[in-house]
Amino acid sequence: MDLRYTETQEILKKMARDFLTTECPKALVRKLEQSEEGYSPEVWKKMAELGWMGLIIPEEYGGMGYTFQDLIVLLEEIGRNILPGPLFSTITGTFLIVEAGTEEQKKELLPRIAQGELILTTALLESEGVFDASGITAKATPKGDDFVIDGTKLFVEMAHVANHIICITRTKVGTSPEKGITLFIVDSKTPGIICDVMPTTAADKLCEVRFNNVTVPKKNIIGRMDEGWPVVEMMLRKGAIAKCAESLGAIETCVEMTVAYSKERVQYGRPIGAFQALQHKMADMWTAMETSRYLVYEVAWMESEGIPCAKETSMAKAYVNEAYKDAAKWAVRLHGGIATSDEHDIPFYYRRSKAADIAFGGTDFHREIVAQKIGLV
Amino acid sequence: MDLALTDEQKIRKQEFYDTCKELEKKKPASLLSMETVFELDDCWEYHLHCAREFARKGWLALGWPPEYDGKGDMMDKVLFAEARGYYDIPGVDIFGVQMLAPTLLQAASEEIKREFLPPIARGEVMWCELWSEPNAGSDLASLSTTAIKKGDEYIINGQKTWNTAAHRADWGFGVFKTDPEARKHHNMTFLLLDMKTPGITIRPIPYLDGHTPYCEVYFDDVHVPAKNIVGQEHEGWAVVNLLAGFERSGMNEIMSMFRGLEDFVAFCNKTKRHGQPLSKDPVIRNRLAQLACDLQAARALAYRVADLQNRNEMSLMDAAAGKITFSELGERFAFLATDILGPYGQVKASRWAPLNGLWEKMFHDHFVTTISMGTNEIQRNIIAWYGLGLPRIR
Repeated sequence: MDLRYTETQEILKKMARDFLTTECPKALVRKLEQSEEGYSPEVWKKMAELGWMGLIIPEEYGGMGYTFQDLIVLLEEIGRNILPGPLFSTITGTFLIVEAGTEEQKKELLPRIAQGELILTTALLESEGVFDASGITAKATPKGDDFVIDGTKLFVEMAHVANHIICITRTKVGTSPEKGITLFIVDSKTPGIICDVMPTTAADKLCEVRFNNVTVPKKNIIGRMDEGWPVVEMMLRKGAIAKCAESLGAIETCVEMTVAYSKERVQYGRPIGAFQALQHKMADMWTAMETSRYLVYEVAWMESEGIPCAKETSMAKAYVNEAYKDAAKWAVRLHGGIATSDEHDIPFYYRRSKAADIAFGGTDFHREIVAQKIGLV
Repeated sequence: MDLALTDEQKIRKQEFYDTCKELEKKKPASLLSMETVFELDDCWEYHLHCAREFARKGWLALGWPPEYDGKGDMMDKVLFAEARGYYDIPGVDIFGVQMLAPTLLQAASEEIKREFLPPIARGEVMWCELWSEPNAGSDLASLSTTAIKKGDEYIINGQKTWNTAAHRADWGFGVFKTDPEARKHHNMTFLLLDMKTPGITIRPIPYLDGHTPYCEVYFDDVHVPAKNIVGQEHEGWAVVNLLAGFERSGMNEIMSMFRGLEDFVAFCNKTKRHGQPLSKDPVIRNRLAQLACDLQAARALAYRVADLQNRNEMSLMDAAAGKITFSELGERFAFLATDILGPYGQVKASRWAPLNGLWEKMFHDHFVTTISMGTNEIQRNIIAWYGLGLPRIR
């Protein structure tokens, strides 16, 4: 057992921190939140040069061939700094293609993803806003060698700039909601697709995507026809762990900024950090950061090693969801009035704590999975 | 990052689990926690039996250097704690094995090590801790019990309190004021003493549930050989800090809660209320799931502490965070379980008590971990002052 980063991971971490500090200052984050695209194509290009989009893509498809655990290291740094844009949605889509795509799909798409030429996103949620298969009603109907997709997807991250949308559809009404799910890679320029950006807490460009008689070739199916749900579960699991890593990084920033500020800010003739009421709160924030850290590292290691970890993933996601919201809330509270200003950096984290909570399943959703996995009948 | 155990570790872990599982068969039904071990005669006998069993396998000397007949490493110690926690098996003296032995190994003279380590490893001598006093709790350094050197003896006068299991212990270790004139932190000495020495009076303190795991100890001209010293004379504070650094990972307590949760889940699955099992109640599901998540997080942090200990890189902050986490989890589990049990949550071990009254007991016993060994508020100070570098109160 050794819970430290490997040397490769330390290098990756340092490189990411340096890059983000230089290339993605908070002024840019603020600008991107207000922009229509929500990302910087220049920074995106530089990230591609660093190999970030191809980090987990096998070398034979033009990627870096790093492990899932290495990705966690990168995402922790991204969470610390905040990086608006389609990296997360592209990586999530990449999980699907790497794990379940056909050889043809891999050869065609993965090298271009690694080069930063393609932006991906995955369309899962619909009007019910649930993360299980029961919410999927968007229909894909066979028509010759093609399928026709009809339905409305919601909360689709960065769909407005994505080149490909992986649409999770219902192709059959089966005996259970999990039966009859099929995944399609859809070119976002296909006629019949209408995309609108939803106004959200984190200004993270979640979109409504309407599919109106959208024709997709049969060869664009990822995985098996009607049996796509296990693939979606894999994506949700990896995505949840990845989101936890991002949240962990964000908690670090909340703790560090709050501790630093409490040493500077003087009231009653002393730094506010000298008051025990605040010290104990910060000690709790730090403790929650550490428990979150090793919880996330443990499950990331399991996923990386191919050890089944559905239970552990839900445990981590439910835990870190709350830890991040709490740390961000206390970061605002301990900064006082100043951090309620939109000009301050802490609100970026506070707003994102809600987005991170919801992504890949909220706390109660994951707690119910945990309830089942610990044996409650 | 690699959480895998080596093949050797897996084998030893299995042996720890197998042995504890076997010992569990003979466990008295009245044994609900370590507190009952100190109080009830049959539980104490069982504790000694387990200690002999573990001693026979060399497991009371895990992580000790080979020259003192040590076996295995720190990681083995953690795996052993996991197994004992899961089956709630006593047999490892918290004070002798877990606190004193590592302290002796680092701070005691060769003579003291040779004299006191072997009986600990053999599970023959049980220890207690003589630290707190009525006016020196969290602020231990303001203690006032004196040990005045006279010839080749110290003569102790005063009172110690909150001495867990002092009435059972053969020997005690403690800190005493040896230089009343010197400044705080440089005026005390760490001494080892036989609890049967004339002049020692032990009075059990009734705990809030009427049980008696704690004592107060009175010293009236108690003569202790001057050679029974650990560390330098008047510099006992350094030894106290060293010992505090051997804070446990909490793995034992955490695994005990893992088992407690398994048993509680089974109870909820078979116990009906409103015509359906408790397990179908969405509120209960959510609350137990939350507890399971918190437990997993606590264990992850305990592994971190163990990993650091194993590399001799102990961080005070992580140990403090671990202690806060597992102890407050125990508190929450006790509240949650007694909530779910409804009116049965107040029944002591008896034919009416579900799960043998464990949770009624835990409703009281959780204070043992949140208050002792440095209250959780002191642990938060440690994180704030030593870890986060926040200004210290004076």
